[in-house]
Formats: sequence, C-alpha cells, structure tokens
Amino acid sequence: MRRALVVGNGAAGTFSSWLLANNGWEVTLVGRGTPSTAMSAGCLRSQPNVCRSEIMEFLSNEMMPWTSGAREGLSKMGTPYRCWMSPPHSTWKEGETPKSVAVVGLEGHPSLLPRVTSAMLNARGIRAKPFILPRSVPSEVPPTASFPGDEAWGALAEELQKLPSEAIMLPAMASLQDYRMLDILELRSGRRVLEAITPLGAPGQRLADIMLSKAAGSGVTIWDGRKVAALDVHEYEVRGATVVGGQEVRDIAIDAIIVATGGPLVDGLALKERNISDPFGMFRVVRSNDGLRGGYDSSNGMLIANDGRSMNNAVGAGDCLSSEGRDYGSGLTEALEGAYLAVQALEGS
Amino acid sequence: MRKDVLIIGGGATGAGIARDLAQRGVECLLLEMGDYCHGASGGNHGLLHSGARYAVKDAVSASECAAENIVLKAIAPFAVEDTGGLFVSLPQDDPDFADLFTASCRSAGVPAEELTPKEALAYEPGLNPLVVRCLAVPDGSIDPFSLVQANVDDARSAGATVLNHCAVSGMTVQDGRVVKVEVRDRRGGIPSSIVPEVVVNAAGAWVADVASMAGCHVPMGLDQGSMLVLDGRQGRHVINRLRRPSNGDIAVPNHTSTILGTTSRPARSPNDVAVSREDVELLIRETSAMIPSLRECRTIRTYGGVRPLLGGGGREASRSFAIMGDDKVDNLLSVAGGKLTTYRLMAEKVTDRVCELLGNSSNCRTHLERLGPSAEEKGGSISLARLRRKYGRAATSIDTADTRVLCSCEQVMRSEVTMVLNNGDALTLADVMRRTRAGMGYCQGFDCSLSVLEVMMDRNDVDPVPSLNEFLRERERGLTQATGDQLRQEILRRHVLRGVYGLEGME
Repeated sequence: MRRALVVGNGAAGTFSSWLLANNGWEVTLVGRGTPSTAMSAGCLRSQPNVCRSEIMEFLSNEMMPWTSGAREGLSKMGTPYRCWMSPPHSTWKEGETPKSVAVVGLEGHPSLLPRVTSAMLNARGIRAKPFILPRSVPSEVPPTASFPGDEAWGALAEELQKLPSEAIMLPAMASLQDYRMLDILELRSGRRVLEAITPLGAPGQRLADIMLSKAAGSGVTIWDGRKVAALDVHEYEVRGATVVGGQEVRDIAIDAIIVATGGPLVDGLALKERNISDPFGMFRVVRSNDGLRGGYDSSNGMLIANDGRSMNNAVGAGDCLSSEGRDYGSGLTEALEGAYLAVQALEGS
Repeated sequence: MRKDVLIIGGGATGAGIARDLAQRGVECLLLEMGDYCHGASGGNHGLLHSGARYAVKDAVSASECAAENIVLKAIAPFAVEDTGGLFVSLPQDDPDFADLFTASCRSAGVPAEELTPKEALAYEPGLNPLVVRCLAVPDGSIDPFSLVQANVDDARSAGATVLNHCAVSGMTVQDGRVVKVEVRDRRGGIPSSIVPEVVVNAAGAWVADVASMAGCHVPMGLDQGSMLVLDGRQGRHVINRLRRPSNGDIAVPNHTSTILGTTSRPARSPNDVAVSREDVELLIRETSAMIPSLRECRTIRTYGGVRPLLGGGGREASRSFAIMGDDKVDNLLSVAGGKLTTYRLMAEKVTDRVCELLGNSSNCRTHLERLGPSAEEKGGSISLARLRRKYGRAATSIDTADTRVLCSCEQVMRSEVTMVLNNGDALTLADVMRRTRAGMGYCQGFDCSLSVLEVMMDRNDVDPVPSLNEFLRERERGLTQATGDQLRQEILRRHVLRGVYGLEGME
C-alpha cells in the first residue's frame, strides 16, 4: 500500500487526505494548531472550476446541510457578503433579501453588535432594528453558554416571536451539533433566522470539524497537535519524516508527501522580519512584498528543491503555495481545488 | 460669541494656557481642530525629560526641563511614572563625553549620579554588559493624553470653555487687530464666529499656518521624528545613550509597552509623519546596542510626529520656546518650540503676556495646584491605581462593579469607555482610544473597535462606517512596517476586514 504523509489540518490537508485514502493510500495527517479554515467565515466564496462533486461530497454532513449557488448574506458588520456555498441560515438566494431585520445580540457581548449592524443595514436600505437580549454573558465566553438546553432555545424562540420583522439576525453561535436548533427557532418563531457571517468563530470551527471528521471517517490516521520536524530526502524524493509531539518522536517511512501547511498567517511558513521561508529548509520559496501572495514555488504541482529541480513525490496545496491571483477571503475554494490537483499530480507521478 | 481670549490648539501648551488663564480669572475659549494631543503632544516619546539630554548643547532647555520635571512630578503624579533614567555609554562611544556631560548637567542644575557598570547592571539587568559609563538622572515616563485631558478638565472647572473637533478656518484683521475668527465646528455647540480680545496661537506644528490667517509670519522649522512601540516593558528605566544627541538614543517604558525613538528629518508639512523602513531598522539597531533583548521584541506599531522647532529643524535646533507678537497685529500671540516637559512653563509665560495685554495682575498658580492624585495614593487598590494612571481624578467615577472587558489586549473595561463618553469630548473611536488605550495593544483595535463602536452608538449619533474607517486607516498607517508576528496579525486583520467585512475602500 502506498504511504502518504499530509502536513496540515486545514482545508487542503484534510481534503487531500480524504481523496488519497479513497484512492487506496495509507495516509497519515499531521497537524498542529488552528488552521485558517477554522478562522474563516465557513463559506466558499467562489464556485470551484474542478472537482465540484468531490467537494460537495467531502463537505456533506447530516447535521448541517449546505446551500449553493449565487448566495447573499450579511457580515457581522452588516456589510453584504456574497458566496457560492454556505450553511443554509448564513445566506439567501440572490434577490431574496429580507425587507426588515431584527438584529439580536447579547448585551455587552462581542458576538454581534446590534446597534452597529442595524445602522449599517439601514444605511443600505434594509429596515433594521437592534434588539438586545437581557442575558449577561462574559465577553470571553461563547454566547451558546447562554443556551444550554432545548428549554433555553425554546425561550429564545418565544422572545423572537414578538419581534416585528421578517427576518432575525443572530450571532453565529451554533456548533455543528446544535445547528438544527436554528431550524427549530425558525419554525417556532415564524421568522427567517439568519446567522451573521462571522470569522474567527463557530462557522469556521464547524467547517473544520466536518473536514476533520470526514478525513478520519475515510481511514486517515490523524496525528493531532504534532509537528513534522524534519524530512528525509534522497535525490529529489522524500522517503521519510520525523514527527514530534510532546515527549514523542517518531520516524515514519513514506512514498509521497503533501505539504498543506498554510501561509504565514497560521505559522506554516516561517516568517522573519518581512521574509517568509521554508521551515523544512528543503523547498524553494517565492517571496512577495504582500504577505498574502508569497509561498512555495511549484511546477506541475511538484515542489521545487533549493537547487531549482522539481521534486519527484512532494507536492504542495493551499495557502502555502505562492499565488499571484489570491485575494483576501478567496482562499478556501482555491485550497480545495489545489488539494485535488495535488492528489492528481501524485497519482500521475 | 465674545470671549476675552481665544486659544487655538489643544495640545499640552494650549490646554496648559487655558488652565492658567482660567485660574487667573480670565474668560477663555480653547479650540482644537482634532482631538487633544492631535499633533506633537500625542506624537512624541512620552518622555519626561530630566534635562540631561540637552545639558551639553542647550543649557537653557536643560535647566527648563530640570525645573519642570520636579513640578510635573508634583502636580500630575498620576500621569508620570517616576522610573528614573540611565545614560549609558558603550565601548564604541567617546569615553570623554561622560565627563563633559556630568559637568554640563551640574551647571544646568540636572542631578546626575555616576554608577559603576556593575551597579548599572544591577539596577537594569537587561543592559549591554559592555556598558562603560552610566549616569542616573531623574527622567520619567509621562502619558501626554491623561496629562492634557487633566489640564482640560481643570481649566473647565475653573470656568474655561474647551472644545475639541472645532477648527479655526479664517480670521478678519481690522486696524491692526484680529476682530473676528471663523470656526468650523464638528461637534456642534458654538457659533461660527468668535470675537476675541486676544488670540493665542498655540497650534504647534500648525502655528505658521494659523498665523498666516492673520497675515503674520512665524519662522518655524518642522522636523519629523519616528518612534516604535514594542510589546511589553523591556526595562525599568528610561534608557538613553550617553553620547551627543543622535538618532535612536532612547527607550522609554510606557504603560504596557516600550517606546523606541527617535529620528530626525525635515518635514514638508505638519502631516508629514510617515515612518520609513530605514527608520525602523535604525531604531532597533541603535537601541538594541544598549539593551540587546530589544532586537527580539515584537514591534506593535510605528508612529511619527512633527516637532515644531524654532528657526531651522534638526538635532542642532534649540528645544527652547519663544512667544512672538507681531508688529501688524496687536492682539495675536504665537508660541512655538519647546517640549512636552516644559509645556506648563510655556503656558505660564504666554499667560503672563496675555494678562499684561488685558491689564490683569494675578499670579500663576499652575505649578502649585495638583491636576490629580498620585496613581498609588494611599488606601487605593491596584485596580484603582491602574485607572488613575489613565484618568487621574476621573478614575473614581468609573463603575468598577461592571467588570466586562472590551479591549482584551489592554484590558479596558466597558465602564471606562462609558465614563469617557459621558465626559463628552470623545466623538470618534480614536478619541476613545487615546483616553482608554482600547486599540493600542498588539491587535491594534481589530478586536475591540466594533465593541467600542457599539457602546458609542448607544449614546451618540455616530455614523459607523466613516468612524470605523477613519480609525482603521489611522491604525493601518502604524502597521505598514509590521514584521514577524505583528505581520501575521496584520494579515489576519486584513483577511477579516477586507475579505469578510468588505471594508476596504468604503467611504
């Protein structure tokens, strides 16, 4: 059985692991820390050009069905957010913008700022009113702490029922396990329930949870909280890796490697002053003045050794690769497509 | 609106003049175009000079600083951290300079005590172990924002009217007098023209621009200086290089950070504050020669200020000040030059001149009456001391029972923001930041700005997008040279603000 090591537990790492495992590889996924997937708003901004059905299958989850197409939603700031794929309560179909919205937040809690958001919406011609729930939740605690069981969600539904608006905008607080509560709220309150598009919170975490559980479900061995400290390279071929975590050091033999460590944002690429570099010291990096665009150099998917020659069995995927076209917020679709192409490159090599 | 005296400029000098005039019973109005400390009073090192830095070249400034250092520690103890300062020389520095320095300090009245290298390292363990000579002086760290706000508050309680966000836009001169001053008012509440007896131009770097509205010429040099804010307090003292004043000589511990400075280049205008990559590298290189660990510290942001200097600019220019009348216009006084440390003295001298013009014979009392308590005053808790450092007297009106935190980097409570908004001077997010420090930490307002805005919108009529954009643009200017971990933070900030919130380019 061919053995692959995938480094990185974000979108590119989990998707490529899942694809490889489905193709019969023995896959070890090593990740540490929080990937930028988990910090994202949990939606795909653009429609993928390749592997659309594979992406849909990879992301499908019975606790949270997805919607796709030309979708519109509202960021936590009240600004418009367009995307192609999102959880159902995050967005609506183009043209179905609600006429009036009650923006609901917890007093003094940063999860949603109803006065700011309402003012932004009103300025854009969407009638909006702030509504503050009288629950005291410390700012560092997620708002879900205020809704511990079905009864609490029921009480919330009753409160929302009284609001004189077509739609209700809530802070993004539902975990994957709780997502169905939003459907229940919608049913009981008789209002459209919208979840504010929110980075660095529950939506990104849900997405990361789905991806990791999918990879695990396909037989990928996941070594969480560990780091690939060194690679064993012979003549443009990676044959092994040293994985460390806590007191544990393991050397593993591999036939291929996918580097999906993310950009400088998540500590994947080393960053000294304003220059990025390869933490393995093996592969060529393209530097850019814009922290967003630099990353590993590649040729037909393969990473490039320091001497300029293409590697035989090392590919890169996602934000760790240099990309001229990348823009803020566009990374997830690109990462998933990149993972697909990386797997294809390995299968072809 | 008729007023005896109109003061233009709400920096330390203007606020000090308002306080002094009001204490002497003169009816006065102060107008500041931005927020208090909007110019050099905010864009400086936060250093309370002992005078030692100027002792060799500029004995007058040195003596002025030495005297005011004692006065400010007595009248504004909450705004001053009495850290003490060290002047250290390294093997590459001129070894004889220390003797000249000591003699000059003595004749200028600046107390300076020589320490052996061993003693110096015991006092300040982070110093370069190769330190050759070290002199201890009474430098300190001063918070210009709380100092100026305290002057404003004190001036008001003595009867002055003080308004920020009101810009003077024109003057009418008739028969050799300013008879009318036009005002552009952003906060609402005053008529569009003022009829003053005397106009005091304390506009700092803008002093020549204001004088020219009355057809007067004030010879000024504008000089830009760059500073870096490092995360954490990297030393116990203000650390100075013991050599002729040069670039990158000083590191000042300030609240939760250390400020490195400064540089010197001619500025094209009062707004020419941009910090270059070369400045950043120079400041880190030079200051880390004194404290090696500074090289490894996280730089949170960079900022620049424009010094209004008498005559020409540069390191050679005097740090003293002058009060200038004009032959053509009898009732306009311009004040220029000086230091934050000597603001009170400048205000006293200006007020003397104004009182002379008005035939008022009262004496100055600003050096005798306290602006607020000491932060560590007896009987106070640690948390009260922390609040006093920022707010002086006003600290006691904060509801400490409400412990909700808005800014996690600087641990600013929601109730601090509420108190500041109740005061009425804070119109923008940046105004709130200058008073509370919310947004000054390593996330640079990325995490707390929306929460602060939410509290503001509950009380004021604030337009959220311009307010947020203005704030974020200002913070972003300080991040253009971000490196290492701060660059990571900046990339995240842009992902969220541009990628998710779509805030880029919204006006």
